[in-house]
Amino acid sequence: MNNMVPIIKKELKSYFNSPIAYILVVTFLVFSSIWIFYLQTFFASNIASLRGYFSVIPIVFIIVMPALTMRSWAEERKMGTMEVLLTLPFRESTLVVGKFLAALTLLAIMIALTIPIPALLSQFGNFDWGEILGQYVGVLLLGAAGISVGLFVSSLMSNQISSFLISLFVLLALTLISQVNRVLALPPWAANAVNFVSLGHHFSNFQRGLIDTRDLLYYAIVSALFLYLNIKTLVFRKW
Amino acid sequence: MIEVSNLGKRYGSLEAVKGVNFTINPGEVVGLLGPNGAGKTTIMKILTCYMFPTYGTARINEWDIFDRSLEIKRLVGYLPENAPLYTDLNVLEYLGFMAESRSLKGSQKKERIERAVEECGLQSVVYRGIDTISKGYRQRTGLAQAILHNPEILILDEPTTGLDPNQIAEIRDLIKRLGKEKTVILSTHILQEVEATCGRVLILHEGKIVAKGTPEEINREMKGEVVLEVVLKAGSRPTGAKAIPGVRDLLHVSSPEANLHKLQLALLPESGAEEAVFDWAVAGGYKILAMIPKRLSLEELFFKLTREGSEK
Repeated sequence: MNNMVPIIKKELKSYFNSPIAYILVVTFLVFSSIWIFYLQTFFASNIASLRGYFSVIPIVFIIVMPALTMRSWAEERKMGTMEVLLTLPFRESTLVVGKFLAALTLLAIMIALTIPIPALLSQFGNFDWGEILGQYVGVLLLGAAGISVGLFVSSLMSNQISSFLISLFVLLALTLISQVNRVLALPPWAANAVNFVSLGHHFSNFQRGLIDTRDLLYYAIVSALFLYLNIKTLVFRKW
Repeated sequence: MIEVSNLGKRYGSLEAVKGVNFTINPGEVVGLLGPNGAGKTTIMKILTCYMFPTYGTARINEWDIFDRSLEIKRLVGYLPENAPLYTDLNVLEYLGFMAESRSLKGSQKKERIERAVEECGLQSVVYRGIDTISKGYRQRTGLAQAILHNPEILILDEPTTGLDPNQIAEIRDLIKRLGKEKTVILSTHILQEVEATCGRVLILHEGKIVAKGTPEEINREMKGEVVLEVVLKAGSRPTGAKAIPGVRDLLHVSSPEANLHKLQLALLPESGAEEAVFDWAVAGGYKILAMIPKRLSLEELFFKLTREGSEK
């Protein structure tokens, strides 16, 4: 764990030394504010809840997570720094988890910057802070799953753009697959299966502020699975 | 102590390294010499545990590359080809990251970075972004990174590419100095580099070791062949060059202009054939414009070595 600190520091320095972190954070904040105040007409609807705000997060993350992770391995490969990184005395798992935690840190910073929205709005109504906590936990978990998918895709690519587009496609499919149930009348087992694998479906409870262990477990499993696949890619590459 | 036994690597259908064996003792400076695509980089990538060989194995200090890679990585300093660096960091941030990755902390980290910066002459660029420094500085930053943790074994892949002659001389001096207490393996396709820095040379061609020995031995072997280029002015193409005493073979004839002829003659060593060539030209009424003794170029050396290798 102690060993992971240099990796996290280096990744964060890379994020903040290049414009990407700032562009992402600002775009995210501007878009989500427009969404709640303008498109969702927060004040006109006169309800002291941020459900409308959080409903758009899975869609926004379909774009934000690939942008956050597209460089992580693809750029190392392209610049040849992969050779430097993989000949340093780190285990593959240390590198993968280090990169994951760095991206998660950036995500946490981004999400923390949205806190002024409920903090300011609390002047105008009686918010349920438990609900908001649940919503924030959900956003972090959804983000963690998105990051680990993005990192895995990036580890297969040597070009940021293809990494971005393919992660975007994978996340789009994983998030929106549950919408199939709105259009098609699938047999119940298939409908459940489709819901079970959907990143978006598992967010709906969090969106209402409910922390369900099944959803927690789902996001934990998705994150762990893709991190594991990422580690295996690095090991397999040696052959 | 580095022991490589029957090491081979295939990339798909291409066999880049074909069953290489060698041993390097502590404190040796060994050069891997070969043209591009000879397998030098692949061997280095395997020794630094960046990739596994397809067959065979290598051991460093009795540690096998397959199951003790972490220990080996701690022991080795590596400068990959073209010195890849993180372009979004500055030089100091980069060296700081490398030092921390090597578990150097606090005052020790500071001291080691200062020393590496000084040895590689990076003082003027420490706060510059790596994307803004010249190729020479990048190469030296890569070298600074490799020596940061005072490694027992240094593996340098083409350490002097992209440097100007002064910098090349400095880096060679540095390598020689480091070689006094460390094991150094460096790869190059420049013959003089090996002569200037290495105690022993392994010559690679198409994934195989075609010759090995000290630079002096390799040189002696090469001196068996002296090539003389003769430029003549004559009305018609000169004849009878092959029959000159001391000339082993006529390698090449060309006529760049109507009455200008270029001949490449392979001479037997110490036969005094140059005089015989002069006499032959006078007797034939040819005017000698130039007589240029040539060393074998690396390509010709490889051609010779591999041809002899397959004849044996």
